[in-house]
Amino acid sequence: MIIIEKICHNITVVALQGTLDSCSSSQLHYYSSPSVTEVPLVIDLSNLDFLDSSGLGALVEIARKKREKGSDVKLACMNDKVRKVFEITQAYRLFDIYDDVEAAAVNAGNKKNSL
Amino acid sequence: MKTLVVIREKDYEWLYPVFPGVHPLLVPVCNKPYAEFLIDFAILAGSNAIRFVSDGQLGGLEHYCENGSRWGIEISYASMLGDEDLETVIDKNRRYCSADRILCISGFVFIRYNKQHDYKKLIASLSPGEFISCSHGSLSLLGNTGNIDNSAEKPELSLVGLDSTGVYYRLSVEILKCGSSPYVLPGYSSEADCHIGRNVVMSKSTEIRKPVIIGNNVQLLAGSVVGPDSVIGSNVIIDRESTIIGSIVLDNTYIGENLDLENRIAAGNILIEPESGASLAMEDPHLLTGIKKRGGGGTVFQTFVHLFVAVLLITIMLVPFALLFPILRLQGKWHESSNTYYTSSSGKTLTLTTVAIDRSGPLSALALALSLDRFALLFRVLGGQLAIIGSQPVAATPGSRMVLERMTGYRAGVFSYAEAEEWPVNGGDTAIVELFYAAHGTPLQDVVMTFKAFFNRIHE
Amino acid sequence: MKFHVETLSGKNIGIAELSGRLDAENSAELQTSFALWQKQAVFFVFDCINLDFVDSSGLGAIVACLRKALEHNGDLRLAALGPKVSMVFDLTKAKKLFLIFPDTPGAIQSFGTGGAS
Repeated sequence: MIIIEKICHNITVVALQGTLDSCSSSQLHYYSSPSVTEVPLVIDLSNLDFLDSSGLGALVEIARKKREKGSDVKLACMNDKVRKVFEITQAYRLFDIYDDVEAAAVNAGNKKNSL
Repeated sequence: MKTLVVIREKDYEWLYPVFPGVHPLLVPVCNKPYAEFLIDFAILAGSNAIRFVSDGQLGGLEHYCENGSRWGIEISYASMLGDEDLETVIDKNRRYCSADRILCISGFVFIRYNKQHDYKKLIASLSPGEFISCSHGSLSLLGNTGNIDNSAEKPELSLVGLDSTGVYYRLSVEILKCGSSPYVLPGYSSEADCHIGRNVVMSKSTEIRKPVIIGNNVQLLAGSVVGPDSVIGSNVIIDRESTIIGSIVLDNTYIGENLDLENRIAAGNILIEPESGASLAMEDPHLLTGIKKRGGGGTVFQTFVHLFVAVLLITIMLVPFALLFPILRLQGKWHESSNTYYTSSSGKTLTLTTVAIDRSGPLSALALALSLDRFALLFRVLGGQLAIIGSQPVAATPGSRMVLERMTGYRAGVFSYAEAEEWPVNGGDTAIVELFYAAHGTPLQDVVMTFKAFFNRIHE
Repeated sequence: MKFHVETLSGKNIGIAELSGRLDAENSAELQTSFALWQKQAVFFVFDCINLDFVDSSGLGAIVACLRKALEHNGDLRLAALGPKVSMVFDLTKAKKLFLIFPDTPGAIQSFGTGGAS
């Protein structure tokens, strides 16, 4: 899995590319580590080709850790494959999901300002 | 133009127990799924794309509507959270909403319209904002202003909030009575207010009283009377001498001999009195029965694999069980409790004896490590009642039936997928793992997962 | 199934309280009990207030009881059908065979007002 980081409206946007499974989910550990849990994050899923339950686990962990600290992670641009996994597992009930990276970043930023 | 349909689960979840197994947005109103009326209206209003947004599951809807090519329109699906306002939902779909004018249908409402009228013109003449609403929802326009023309004629348009079986029933009868002139209804019709589908077999002595709509693959046996004001779905059998008056019979229903259905809704084996909402699940094949299309659940191979693993585990556990069980029992550390659980998503129940072992002393630790508390459950796999690995059994209570409705592919297992996966977080999130494997699991993977679960418990 | 006899204007009226489920498992039991009850009375009321569920064999048993009561120049009337039980009676046309009352006292009274002759 390739991770590309960029900044959009002062918010870190992480674009995931390739496969997020038990092998590659450890690559996301950084984003749930204590040093960054207070920082809001947007994850762009448009180029994610495959997602399995451990991958979902990694995303859920990021969300849980960030929320404990009053921050959040927003998901953006799910493609159909990824959306189906969220649909089947009902993981969509746990996330704010946007169809646009910019909208997600702006909203992640608003949350930061209000804190 | 595009259409955004926003329906919250709390508005339609009342339909889950009423028509189990049917996605609430696909419950037929008259003889056509609710969602299709929305699609029809969106097309009539000039949309080339529709997006359904809900905080509930949309899988069933997506399975039916797919990408919308059947209607020549692009259909997409998106999620929201339950407590969000419309503005946030629109923001979450910014990309979809940015290009064009958007017709936003919000709430679980039925739109009364008449296909003879020109809604494109109406929509074009309106300024942005809400233009029609009721207590349960609204229609609004977003985006750039059209050519505002207040003099444009106002075609028929009103909303009905769908919130009870009574409203649902009256609406169906209303549509049946006004027939296919305002709405697009499926079926063949040589005369007004009488639609009959394909492959309908009628006995010579069957009596049909208009208005009536009959679906596909229907058998009306000798002496049956259908109508007036009745809707018969597809795959329905009405047995001899039965009378259906002012009633709606949904798909896949068998109505037994000599019965009298008046002002009722029958769906599979469920009989509903629409005005009071009272419903009765028949357990009697002579009266009402659901007609099953095909036995769901696992394949033969999967059942075999599960059986094999169960036998293997029983062999492994047999000696330790025979040694440890009497001792722990004597020590009072072995607690059995009996409870009723759902075993499959169709609502089958089974009374299981679950075991709790006190965590004290080396013997109980050994018993727990070897999963001896699950020993008795393994025999249920041999009987085909439990899967070796599946979801954690959900206790059967009136409240949890709703939970089950949401868990597509639920199968109670001796071990659960969540126990096999080392998830960083647990609690309510375990459902995510279980649902993932319920949809993606394969028999061989089940074997691996079972042993993973077994070994995880050793390490605990 | 509780049973007792009440006397109204010289008539013995057997009151049976049906409860829970009446289905293939216990419908035969109702018929055997009814044969015993017939030694004590000819007029009967089935109080259905606690009856939750009836299937076709349960219904068959109630209809069989009615037939036996009529054979002995008596009658069987029903009282306090719950919504679910009532739906089964509607569906199967059995409603037309019985006089049905909203409550047991009403059903008992009805035997006194000549309806029983």
